Amino acid sequence: MNKKTYKIKETLSNALELPKDIILDVARVTMIGSNHVIVENHKGILEYNEDQIRVNTGSGILIVIGSKLNIKSILQEEITITGEIDSVGY
Amino acid sequence: MIIIRLWNFLRGYAIIIVEGLKIERFINMAISNGIYIWDIKKLSYTSISAKIGLENFGKMREIVRKTDSTIVIKEKRGFPFILKDLKRHKLFAATVMILLIMIYVMCSYVWMIEVVGTKTIDPKVVMDIVNQEGLKEGVRKAKLDRHSLENKILIKLPQLSWVGIQVRGTKAVVEVVEKREEPELISKTDACDIVAAKSGVIHKILVLNGDGIVKDGVTVKKGQVLVTGTILRENSEPRLVHSLAQVTGRTWYEDAEQMDLQQIEFKDTGRKTTQYMLKLLDKEVGFKKTIPYSEYNEVREEKNIISFGNYVFPIKLISIRYNELVIVPKTLTVEQAKKRCEERLNERLKLHLSENAVVLDKKINYVEEKKSVMAKISVEILEEIGVKKRIQAK
Repeated sequence: MNKKTYKIKETLSNALELPKDIILDVARVTMIGSNHVIVENHKGILEYNEDQIRVNTGSGILIVIGSKLNIKSILQEEITITGEIDSVGY
Repeated sequence: MIIIRLWNFLRGYAIIIVEGLKIERFINMAISNGIYIWDIKKLSYTSISAKIGLENFGKMREIVRKTDSTIVIKEKRGFPFILKDLKRHKLFAATVMILLIMIYVMCSYVWMIEVVGTKTIDPKVVMDIVNQEGLKEGVRKAKLDRHSLENKILIKLPQLSWVGIQVRGTKAVVEVVEKREEPELISKTDACDIVAAKSGVIHKILVLNGDGIVKDGVTVKKGQVLVTGTILRENSEPRLVHSLAQVTGRTWYEDAEQMDLQQIEFKDTGRKTTQYMLKLLDKEVGFKKTIPYSEYNEVREEKNIISFGNYVFPIKLISIRYNELVIVPKTLTVEQAKKRCEERLNERLKLHLSENAVVLDKKINYVEEKKSVMAKISVEILEEIGVKKRIQAK
C-alpha cells in the first residue's frame, strides 16, 4: 500500500469514525489478562516456538514473548495464543 | 467455548503429531486451505501436536507433501469413534440399551407408598384401604385415577376429611387430614338437665338456672339427675329451661397392684449377629442363618438400595440384628417391691385425675404375702361432677 492511499484511508476512517483495522487492513490485537492474546486480521505465522511466536500482520511483524505458548486455535482471520505472556510488540 | 468443544466432539477429531523443519509453513498452508486446526503445542524444535477435524484429514496429504513433513495420528476422539467401538462391541451396546429401557420402564411404576398426616388413625389402616382400592406397590402410574381413588378412600374411611394422592417419582404419597371430633355442644336455647358424671357425695351445689334436686352431702350415683331443666310450678304449664350449675363432689378411686418378689430381667450381653437379605418386590432372597443364642431379641431394618431422590426401585436390603440376652433372676426386698407398686399406682392415678381435680386423701395399704406384695390404693378426690344432658323432646 503506498503512502498516499494510506493517508487518505486514515483521514476517511477518522472522519467517518469507522474501525481502522477494517479500513486500513491492519491487525487488531486483543489481550485478555496475561495469558490470552487474540490477533485478528493476521497474515500467517512466521515462527512458532514455546517461548516466542512471530505473526505477520499488515503493519509489521507482531512478536509475542513468554513461556509455554500454545496456539489455542488458528483460523483465516484470527489466532488465539495462550500461555504465560511476558511481552507483545512489533 | 464449551459449545465449540461439544461440536468438535460430535464431529470427531484426531490428535496428530507433525514433524518437519517447516512447521510454520505447514500451519499457514493449513489455514489457507480452510483446514481448522486447534490446540497447537510445540513438542520439540521440529515437531508439534495439534487437533484436527475428521473431515479435513484427507486434505492434509498434499500439505504434508509440499512441506516435507511427516504426520502421525496419535489418538482419535469423538462420537464417531465411540460409535465405531460400539459397533464392534455389540453385546455391550445391547446391554446398555436394555438397561436404559429397563430404568425407563421401572420409572413408570409406583414402588413405594407413604401415608402422611395421620394422628389418631393407624397409618396401616389407611394403607390397607389404599391397597384394596388398587394403589399397590408395582401399579403403573398411568393407570392410576387419583381423583376416583381419593373419593373411594374418603367413602371407606369416614374419619377422614381430606385425602390427597401425589405421585413423585416412583413414590406415591397419600396425604390425609383427619376430622376433628367435635364435642356435643348444647346451645343455650336448648333445654338440658345436669347429671352426675361419677358416683360420689355432693360437696357443693350452686344452681344458676333450673331446679336443684339434690342438696349438699347427698350421695349420688352416676347418671343421676342433679339439676332438672323441667320446671313444674302450680297453676302453670311445665316449662323447659337450659340449666346451669356448678356441682363439685367427692369421689373415690381405688386400684390395686401386685408385685412378685422373684423377678426375671433380661440383660444384653453385647454379642450380636447380623443377617442380610435382599428383597426383590415381595420375595426375600438370602441365606437363613442359624441363631446361636437361646434368648435374643431381633431388630429388623429395611433399606432401599437404589433410590434417586423420589425415584425408588423395588430392591431392598434387609438387615436383621440378633442381640443375645441373658436371664438374670433378681430377688426384690419387700421394701423395693412396695416402692415399685407405689410408683405404678401413682402413674395410673395421674391418668385418672381430671384437670381441676384435687386429691383430698390418699391411702396405700400393703398386704405382704410369701412370694409377693399386694398394694391397694384408695383416693378421695374433689372434682366437678356435673355434666349437661339434653332433654329429649317427647
